[in-house]
Amino acid sequence: MRGDLEMNQLILVIATIVLAPIVGGLLFGIDRRITARLQGRFGPPILQPFYDILKLLGKDSIAVSKMQFVWIYAYLVLMIASLLCLVLQSDFLVLVFLLGFAGVALVLGGFSTKSPYSHFGANRELLQILAYEPVLLLLAIAIYAQNGTFLISEIVAHEQPLLLPLWPLFIAVLYVLTIKMRKSPFDISTSHHAHQEIVKGITTEYSGPFLALYHLAEWYEIVLVLGVVVLFWANPLWIGLLIAFAAFLLELVVDNIAARMTARWMVRLSWSVGLTLGILNVAYLYIIKGVF
Amino acid sequence: MTDGMMAIAILLPVVAGLLILAIHNYFARGVVVVATAVVLIANSLLFAAKGPLTYTPPAGFDWGTLISVLDYAILVLYLVLGLKLRNRLVLIFSATQIIPIVYFEFFMKAHVDLRPAFVVDHLAIVMTLIISIIGSLICVYAIRYMRDHEQHAHVDKSRQSRFLFWLVLFLGAMNGLVFANNLFWLYFFWEVTTLCSFMLISHDKTQIALENAARALWMNSTGGTAFILAIIYLYATQGGASALSVQNIIGGGMHSAAMLLPVALLCFTGCTKAAQMPFQSWLLGAMVAPTPVSALLHSSTMVKAGVYLVLRLAPAYAGTLVSTAIAIVGAFTFFGTSALAISQTTGKRVLAYSTIANLGLIIACAGINTPLSIAAAILLIIFHAISKGMLFLCAGTIEHQIWSREIEDMEGLASKAPLVTLITAVGMLSMFLPPFGMVLGKWIALEAAYKVPLAAVLFVLASALTIVFWTKWLGRLLQVVPKLGWPLEKLSPSYSVPLWTLFVGIFVVGFGIGPIYQYFIASATSDVIAGNSMIGSGWANIVLTGSSAVQTGAAVRGSFPVWALYLVLGVALFLPMLFFGLKPTQLRQVYLCGEQTGGTDTDEWCAECDIKTKFILGGYYFQATLGEKTLNPWVNSVAIFLLAIMIACGVISK
Repeated sequence: MRGDLEMNQLILVIATIVLAPIVGGLLFGIDRRITARLQGRFGPPILQPFYDILKLLGKDSIAVSKMQFVWIYAYLVLMIASLLCLVLQSDFLVLVFLLGFAGVALVLGGFSTKSPYSHFGANRELLQILAYEPVLLLLAIAIYAQNGTFLISEIVAHEQPLLLPLWPLFIAVLYVLTIKMRKSPFDISTSHHAHQEIVKGITTEYSGPFLALYHLAEWYEIVLVLGVVVLFWANPLWIGLLIAFAAFLLELVVDNIAARMTARWMVRLSWSVGLTLGILNVAYLYIIKGVF
Repeated sequence: MTDGMMAIAILLPVVAGLLILAIHNYFARGVVVVATAVVLIANSLLFAAKGPLTYTPPAGFDWGTLISVLDYAILVLYLVLGLKLRNRLVLIFSATQIIPIVYFEFFMKAHVDLRPAFVVDHLAIVMTLIISIIGSLICVYAIRYMRDHEQHAHVDKSRQSRFLFWLVLFLGAMNGLVFANNLFWLYFFWEVTTLCSFMLISHDKTQIALENAARALWMNSTGGTAFILAIIYLYATQGGASALSVQNIIGGGMHSAAMLLPVALLCFTGCTKAAQMPFQSWLLGAMVAPTPVSALLHSSTMVKAGVYLVLRLAPAYAGTLVSTAIAIVGAFTFFGTSALAISQTTGKRVLAYSTIANLGLIIACAGINTPLSIAAAILLIIFHAISKGMLFLCAGTIEHQIWSREIEDMEGLASKAPLVTLITAVGMLSMFLPPFGMVLGKWIALEAAYKVPLAAVLFVLASALTIVFWTKWLGRLLQVVPKLGWPLEKLSPSYSVPLWTLFVGIFVVGFGIGPIYQYFIASATSDVIAGNSMIGSGWANIVLTGSSAVQTGAAVRGSFPVWALYLVLGVALFLPMLFFGLKPTQLRQVYLCGEQTGGTDTDEWCAECDIKTKFILGGYYFQATLGEKTLNPWVNSVAIFLLAIMIACGVISK
C-alpha cells in the first residue's frame, strides 16, 4: 500500500519535472503571440520559446563569475522543489519558503558579480520579494484559518472552494501573479520581450546556456504560480484550471495596457492595499469561525 | 556525583576565571581556557546523559548568606559605578534595588531557605548544553581574538586576562541562573550576568564604551527592580518562602489572580534582559565591545536568560490576558526590529537587530502558550544560539581581516576571504531559509500562532522583512570581479576550531532535528506545558522518527522527512559548487556599455574624458523610510504601550 503510494509519487515527480516546462513554454508562446496581436504585430510561432532555448543551449558557455552559475542553477532547482511541494500536495508554507529561497538565489546570482545592471535588477528583485512574500504567507494563514492546516492535500480534499471565503486574498494573489510573471506594471527587475527596457535587468550578465537555465526556471515558475491560483478552486480541478487560465489572460491584457512603475510604488501598493485585503480577509475568517 | 556536576557547572568558571586573571602568559592562559571549555562541555553532556535532578547544597556552609552578601556587594558596586560615571539613571535603579532588598531582609525578616535550591529539568538541560557548548567555543575564540584586538589597538598594558575572567565567569552565572529554583538565588545570578555584561561592554574604556555599558546597566537594573518587587510581592501575599520556589509558581500550587502581577513583572524583567523593544538600545550599544562579547551576549547567554525566564514562567500565566499580551509584545518586537535592520549599514548592528527580532519571536511563542508554540520556542532557542553565535564569530573574523564593521567595506569579501565568506553565507542562509532549523521553528511557530492572529500577522510581515536584510548583506559579500582561483585564507586554530565546529553543528543539529526533538525538545516542552499536539501537521514527519513517523506519514498526506529538504539544498547549492568549473577562456567582463577598460580582473571603466575610474556599487538602506530616526519614535511608543498593557493585564486579570 505504502509502496504503491511512493511509486505513484515518484511517477508524479518525474511527470512534473518533464511536463511543467512544456506547459510553461507553451504559455510563454501564447503570451508572445497574444501580446503581438494586442500590439498589432503578427507575432512569433507558439513554439518560439522552445526554439529560443534550444538555440541558447547550443551557444558557448561564458560567464562573469563562477558563483553566478551556482545561484542561477539553484534558482532552477529550488523552483522545481517548490513546484513539487504543490504537486505532491505537501505543506503550503514549505512551498512559500522554497519559493522565497528560489527568489533569494536569483537575487544573489545578480549580486554575485560586480555589474551595475545586474545589481539594479537584484535590488529590484529583492523589493519584489518584499512585495509578494507577505501576501503568500498571509494566504497560508488564511488557508490555516479555513482548513485548520497548511497542507495542500487538505485543500484539494475539501468540497468547498477557497475562492468564496478568500476572495480578497485572491485579488491580492492576482497582483502577486503579475509580479512573478514579470508583467507591467510590476516588471521591475527585468521584463519580457523588451518591454520598456534597454538593458535586461537582473539577467543582463547571463548568456548562452546559463540564460537558458533562467528561462527554464521561469517556465517552472509560471506553472507554479498558476498552480497556486488553481488552489482557490481545487475541487473539481477543471474549474480551478479555467480560473488560472483566465487569470493568465488577464495578466496579458494588464501588461499591455499598463506602464512599468517604480519599485517603491510597488512595495507601497502591496504593503497598503494588498496587505489590508489579506489582513481583513484573515480577520473575517476568524470572526466567522468564532475564534474571537 | 551530583555535587561534582553542580560545582563544575557553577563554581568551576569562577575558579578558572580567577586562575586566568592571575596568568599573564598568552599560551598558559589559552590552555586554561581550553581546558575549562572541555570540562564544561563534558559536564553538560553528563547532565544530558543523567537526566533531570534536584539538588540542594550540603549543609555546613551557609550559601544563602553568602549570596545575600554578594548581592549587596554587586548593588553597592553599581552605586559606586553610578557615582563614578556620573550617571543618574544607574544610581536611581541601583537604589531601587538596594532599598527593597534591605526592606525585604531586615524589615520583613524574610527567610528564603528553599529545598530544593536547584531543579535541573529538561529545559534547564537544554539551556546548559547551549551555554556550555556554544559559550565555551566563544571563550576559545576570544583567546586569539583579544590578542589581535590589543595588537591592533596598540594598548600599553594587556587586559586580556581581565576580559577572559568576565567571559568565563558569565558561563557559571548562566548555569546557576537556569538551574536555580529559589527565586532569590535566581535574582542573584541574574545580577551577576548584568554585572558581567557591564564589565565586558565597558572593557575598552573608551567614552562610548562606558556610556553604552552604563545604559546596559541601568536598563537591566529596571528589570532587576521589577524582579525584586515581584519577589517581595510573592513573599508577602503568597505565604512566605515557599512562594519563591519557581517550581511552586509554575506548578499551579498557588494559582490565583494575585499571582499574575508578580509574574507579569518577572516577564517584564525577562523582556528587559532579552532587549525587547523599547529596551533594544542597550543590546545595540553593546556592539562597541570586542566581538566575542557580542557573540556571547547574543547566542548563549544574557539575552537567552531573558527568554528563559519568560518561557519558564509560561504555565503561571497560561490562559490569561497576560499571555496574549506577551505574545503581542514579542511579535511586535519581531516586526519592528526586522524593519529597522534593513536600514543598518553596520554588520554587527544588523546581527543585533536580527537577534532582538528572533528573541521577540521566541517570547511571542511563549506567550502563545500551547505545547506547539513552546516546542517552537525551544527549537528556536537552540538553532538561534548556534547560527547567531557563529555569525558573530564570523563578524569578528571579518573585522580582523578588513578592520571594519561596515557592510559596504565587506564588498567582494568572497575573493579576499573565501572560507570565512562560505561560513558566513551558510550562517546567514541558516537564519531564514529552508532546510535550516530557524525556518522549521518559524514554520511551527506560524502554525501555533493560530491562537493569536495578530501575532501571526506580525510574524508574516517580519518574515518578509527578514529576507530583505539578510539577502542584501549577503549580496555585498558575494560581489566580485570575474576572476578564477581565489586563494584560501589562513586562520588561527583559535578562530577556525569554533567556527568550523559551529558550522558542522548547524548541519548536524539541523539534520538531526528528529532525534533532537524527541530526546530534548519534547521532554523540555512537557516540563513547561502539558499536552501534545504533534500529529496531523505537515512538519510532523520532520520532528518524528522511526515508527511514529511511519504512522504519521500514512496519516498525513504531503508530510515529508527533513532529509528531503537537505537533499534539495545539496542538489541546488553544493553540487554545482563542487562539480562546476570554469576555464579562464570562459570568463568575460561585465557589461558596461562598452566603456570597460579591458581585462576580466579589473573593475575600472572609462569615465569622463576617458579617465580610468574604479566603479563603485552600493547597497540600498532605505534610511529615509526605515531608519532609526524615522521609525524609533513610533515603534518605541507602541512597544511601551504594549508593555504597559501587559502589566495592566497582570493587575486586572481575575
